[in-house]
Amino acid sequence: MSALPAPDPAPVLEVRGLTKSYPGTRALADVSLAFPGGQVSALVGRNGAGKSTLVKILSGALRPDAGEVRIDGAPVVLRSPADARGLGIATVHQELSLVPGLTVAENVLFGRFPRRGGLARAAIDWRRLYEDAARLLETMDVRLDPRAIVAPLPLAQRQMIEIARAVSSGARAVLFDEPTAGLARAEAATLFRLVRGLAARKVALVYVTHQLGELAEIADTVTALRDGKVAATIPARDISSSALVAMMYGGASAPGPAAPAPVRAAPSAPAEPAADRAAEAPPVLEVEGLGIEGVLRDVSFTLGQGEILGIAGMLGSGRTELLMALFGARRADRGRILVRRAPGAPERQGEGEDIGGWTRLGAPTLSPARMRGLGIALVPEDRKTQGLVLGMSVLDNLCLASLGSVARRGVITRSRQRRAAAPVARELDLVAPDLDAPVGVLSGGNQQKVALGKWLLREPRVLLCDEPARGVDVRAKGQLFEALRSLSRRGIASIVVSSELEELLEVCHRILVLRRGALHGAHRPADLTLDRLVALCMESGAPARTA
Amino acid sequence: MSVRRAFFARLSKGMLEVLLVLACLFLAIAAPGFWSVENLMGVLRSVSEIGIIAFGMTMVIVAGEIDLSVGSAAAFAGCLVAWLVSRGVPVPAAIVLALGVGALGGALIGFLRTRWGVPSFITSLALLTALRGGALQLTRGFPLAPFPAWYGTLGSGYVGGVPFPAILLAVSFLAALFLMDHTVFGRSVYAVGGNAEAARLSGVPVGRVRIAVLAITGALAAWSGVMLSARILSGNPTVAVGWELDVIAAVIVGGTSLSGGSGRVWGTLVGVLFIGVIVNGMRLMDVHEDGQLIARGALVLFAVLSSRLQTAAGAS
Repeated sequence: MSALPAPDPAPVLEVRGLTKSYPGTRALADVSLAFPGGQVSALVGRNGAGKSTLVKILSGALRPDAGEVRIDGAPVVLRSPADARGLGIATVHQELSLVPGLTVAENVLFGRFPRRGGLARAAIDWRRLYEDAARLLETMDVRLDPRAIVAPLPLAQRQMIEIARAVSSGARAVLFDEPTAGLARAEAATLFRLVRGLAARKVALVYVTHQLGELAEIADTVTALRDGKVAATIPARDISSSALVAMMYGGASAPGPAAPAPVRAAPSAPAEPAADRAAEAPPVLEVEGLGIEGVLRDVSFTLGQGEILGIAGMLGSGRTELLMALFGARRADRGRILVRRAPGAPERQGEGEDIGGWTRLGAPTLSPARMRGLGIALVPEDRKTQGLVLGMSVLDNLCLASLGSVARRGVITRSRQRRAAAPVARELDLVAPDLDAPVGVLSGGNQQKVALGKWLLREPRVLLCDEPARGVDVRAKGQLFEALRSLSRRGIASIVVSSELEELLEVCHRILVLRRGALHGAHRPADLTLDRLVALCMESGAPARTA
Repeated sequence: MSVRRAFFARLSKGMLEVLLVLACLFLAIAAPGFWSVENLMGVLRSVSEIGIIAFGMTMVIVAGEIDLSVGSAAAFAGCLVAWLVSRGVPVPAAIVLALGVGALGGALIGFLRTRWGVPSFITSLALLTALRGGALQLTRGFPLAPFPAWYGTLGSGYVGGVPFPAILLAVSFLAALFLMDHTVFGRSVYAVGGNAEAARLSGVPVGRVRIAVLAITGALAAWSGVMLSARILSGNPTVAVGWELDVIAAVIVGGTSLSGGSGRVWGTLVGVLFIGVIVNGMRLMDVHEDGQLIARGALVLFAVLSSRLQTAAGAS
């Protein structure tokens, strides 16, 4: 680890009083931070804490409402990503920004191709291009063929190309946005070496991560953002999981604030943290030895009727893949799933093997349509790309998963759709100008209610919820969780994945810890504190995939 | 939305209809012979071959796919019927077979799309060439004319003063309207074109929807080819060249977005009529063929540009 540099009067990169608001939320509120050259400054925080907004402003993709960015002490205006690059701020994105059809060398030196002399000035000097790139890669100790096409290269190597590009462009500051998500441990080690190499060149490094376990290994300082403000900055060597939790969550190591007022009074429902009741409930779903090569290992658990089961894990732990595999939306390699047949449901429903009231299915043979038929529902992670058809109306989206039952003999009418959807819209307190409005105009929270609501039209037996409250306001979040509780009282079970671990503590009856694709124990929220749960999730601290 | 914005939104929504009426009024005054029953019926008959395919193409484009093979499929179907009839197959059986082959061709495009992710653009481009070759092969390059005289009614007959093809245009319009606006299938088509992943995760059979819209369009193209062969009383391998572009142009003028997920069968009908009326009017006003082509090109560009500008205005 490099020594902390002497306090410099003008850090390479600095922000002062940065403020950015979106309708309804303040993403950044008066944030001032300095990123000195030669230092790896890690940024941590929960989703919505303001990390990505800050990175977007620094990379020129977003303009702040107030405040300024300074380079070497001089204020600069970043109107576009090109501006930022021109001023020496490079970004290594989560979704990489390489041109896949071109070679490694072309990508590294993109926009700065060496030219031939004389009359052929317009022509690229290919030999020099490859030589320059090869020399650069060599100095970085990266083994990559400059003539290789980028497209088939694995993520880790493409990331190296991005870093090489930053080096070759003489970047003064490099922003890393979740660079280790999806990397194997050995690949991450190479990445850390390259980051260290950049630090040795006195480059300022801004390193955003959810992978708290790697902080001690890579960072010099750790800054936590909370609710758009800087919560604290501490040297990375003083880091501990409880200190991190305190910084990120504001010292609350108990379950988060109580949910806002419930949507509606639950009819005759006892107020409960019903952990024990749910544990005794008859099982509705059993998962046996579910596996996906390199992603999930031998995942087995049982879900009780009406139980709300949380899956706690870091980004890259395989939590999303687990839900997608259970729904048949992502093919599993091995394992079996048993679903209890609905009372009164005909046998051989969903084509699975029938044993004593259960339908048994081989995990690799699942499909969304089939799981839907068995009463399984998925509220996917990203409502905009997976959950909703944004151009269609609220009504059409609500009916999308149950077209067959809304229609009569294949014929569907608006009034029929309305009759089916209106009760769900009311139950979820959906705020929409009109059910015929395109779903895209709704707020995030109301869009999420539609993504959930479309499954409530068909009374599912098991709801799989991936980040059900991501990017929604506090009120909608409370309502969504209350909806899960109220479903639970009706006997509908849920499996909830959330990167906001305190949400799991608040809503779940039982929590399974998923680390690097394998389950590590089940816990009752009453026996857990937030920092204990964070520690359980990051115990190994390493990225998901084994090399 | 302000009252004014809402007013303009509604106006621009019905803009094509307004333009169609204006064009008709203008031609009624300026083009000799336009405003007569015979001429208007003639317009309907002339647009029906393209129009029937356009309703299928609307579904295909709304589903986010494209079919470039419809012209060749129409020519192939006409030649296939002629060839079968010349071999002694009864006309009705020959027609049914041709429709089946058209549907199969469309289904093939959809199957390759679903199974191996081959873009429908590519497969239908291949079929565009191959089916034309097939038509030439069947007829050895010359028109085949084995048809009984009554066969001609299918293409140029009248029922109660209305051209038979125009009746079929109306029937297929109503069928497509019903299918797209009032059935599970129609909702699925919009969902698949709007966001295929969301549709898949809602349990919509995405692959089957794609195959179905392409098969329907293939069958409609074959039917159009049959009507055309009836009109010219022969299976001719060199007809219907470039139809795919006329069909797509009508769909786009009708307001359907090439990126999928949005479009209306009604709009396509208006688009088909609009192009038909303009072409007819220009012919009556003795505009040269070259000028007509230029005007049609300009019309497509204008239609798309105006819908773009509307979207941009709506977004801001």
